[in-house]
Amino acid sequence: MAEYSRMAKGSYTVSGGTLGVSAPSAKIINLPFKPDYVELINVTQSITPAQHGIPFAFWDASVTPVTVSNVQYDTIVEVFNATPVLTTDSVRVGGGISTFSAGQMLQFGPTYKHNSVASADFSIALSGAGGPTTVTTATAHGLTSGDVIIFEGLFQTSTTGMPQLNGIPFTVTVLTSTTFTIPWDTSNATFYTAFNTSTSTGNIGAWKQVLYPYLYFPGTSFISGITLGTTTTIDTTDAHNFVVGQEVAFRIPSQWGTVELNSLPNTLSPGSPVYGYVIAVTDYNTVVVNINSSAYTAFNVNQTVASVPGLSYPQIVAVGDVNTGGVQISSGSPLYPSPYTSPIGTTRVSTINGPAIQGAFVNNTSQGFIIGNKASRTDTSSWVGGSNGDIMEWRAYLHDISIP
Amino acid sequence: MRQAEDLILRDYIVSAASQLNAGGGTNGFNPSNLGVSDFSLVATTLDTNNAYKFMSGIEGMDRFGTGPVRSAYFMLSSTELQSDFDTLVGSGFLSQWNYPTNASALPSEYGSVYNIRILTSSEAPVARNAAMNNQGVLNDVYYNTVLGKQAITHINQDGYSMNLIYRDPYYSGMLAQNATLAVKFAQAQAITQDTAIRNVLSTRLSNLGV
Repeated sequence: MAEYSRMAKGSYTVSGGTLGVSAPSAKIINLPFKPDYVELINVTQSITPAQHGIPFAFWDASVTPVTVSNVQYDTIVEVFNATPVLTTDSVRVGGGISTFSAGQMLQFGPTYKHNSVASADFSIALSGAGGPTTVTTATAHGLTSGDVIIFEGLFQTSTTGMPQLNGIPFTVTVLTSTTFTIPWDTSNATFYTAFNTSTSTGNIGAWKQVLYPYLYFPGTSFISGITLGTTTTIDTTDAHNFVVGQEVAFRIPSQWGTVELNSLPNTLSPGSPVYGYVIAVTDYNTVVVNINSSAYTAFNVNQTVASVPGLSYPQIVAVGDVNTGGVQISSGSPLYPSPYTSPIGTTRVSTINGPAIQGAFVNNTSQGFIIGNKASRTDTSSWVGGSNGDIMEWRAYLHDISIP
Repeated sequence: MRQAEDLILRDYIVSAASQLNAGGGTNGFNPSNLGVSDFSLVATTLDTNNAYKFMSGIEGMDRFGTGPVRSAYFMLSSTELQSDFDTLVGSGFLSQWNYPTNASALPSEYGSVYNIRILTSSEAPVARNAAMNNQGVLNDVYYNTVLGKQAITHINQDGYSMNLIYRDPYYSGMLAQNATLAVKFAQAQAITQDTAIRNVLSTRLSNLGV
């Protein structure tokens, strides 16, 4: 029964990551099908056993993930212990081996819901002026800087809490295994109430990871701050993926203040949209736009909880029909680089696409599987993706028959 | 056969078009379920932005149970929201079968509210369990795309459109034959006028059927 089964294999050399210390970036393997079974062989770690090494890993789409402390695990790995002798371990759903397919940008990871089980509890403290806001989880959150999450609920009562953060994609910056920050200013206690503190009651909320936040870019980004001046500096909640020369437009609902940036209505030239150009990219979530906003209304991040039903968020949008994004070619750089995302800081992650004008709209979708960068459940210093220089072999299958 | 193109365009729009959260509904979520004021607000926004409407109005006729239909933008929505639209009958929603004539109605058209005619599809984008109310209840978030005529375009690259690839079944086993059926196309999407398109995010009022 192999008429329609699909099989593929390949190998690559791991780039990044240090054995027992850090993980390499997630590795995307593109295939002409979406596999239902994947196995990995780390040739290097198989031949040279060492503690934290993972020589073998398996993932089967038909196997129901096993839940441990409210976290689901589905990638089975074999890990060398200190002896070193092989032991079994696992990696959480989405953090080990996982598949992906085009057109599924709205996929989420497991939900961490306060008051479901103690291990899923989390709290959010009020930030200092200007943010960022720190989130503390009861158990290891498993996130990596650059991951994107959304919140849900975050009510303390019907009129207090932090529901203003709901539904906004936030890039996280990991501080520790149980703390991370999000780029938002919650310093004003008149508008924000710390979530799930020792004295608060009635908290309802959850967070979950957005698994594939940048399958299409540049697109719409939510704004977390605007610095007015002869040029305008925009901070976004997740990676904007803009480049210098990008034409952008703004959607600022009136309660957020800086409505003068809105592309329409244009009070000076009715019907003519107001656009700006990106003149500098500071980092993954900050750009400078060539609009003189010195006399504009200040941006207001403080929204009342009562205003949340129907609250729309300020956004910066890639206009797309005009952009002059180019790439400086220097010694050693490819002449025709593929478009890249910048998930955190100034890190650049190349897409699978061929050369294109930087800043032009990129359809970054594909199908295949991902070797994630999350640590194993028991040996939290081991990563399925291997370490720098390891030779990794993979085999992927899509079976005719799978029982069940 | 063109579903792949439709899905790519759908996801492109979800990613690239700006968003409004519905607030005219009563279910207590943000975004709320769609209320008639949401239709009015987004149509006003597109009107203010000088977007072109897709459809001319339908003049009223002397037929029982019908009413005139305004010139309208299109809203691409989920079939799962049809029962929500039914709750708006009498407060602004006009079912497609209540149009004076169905001559201009599309097969997927469910009805209209004010200046928006609603097309529904099971493939409309939805983020499952992406909203929570103050009781801890989860709800799905729907991306309802409202667009004017000049908002988006679909470009067939290299001067050709979709090719159908078909190879006759051939004998390859006792009980099976092997054939190939596929399509090949080179295309791209673009938002040609960003001011003429909005994704209106909403949750659902009604329970889903199974």
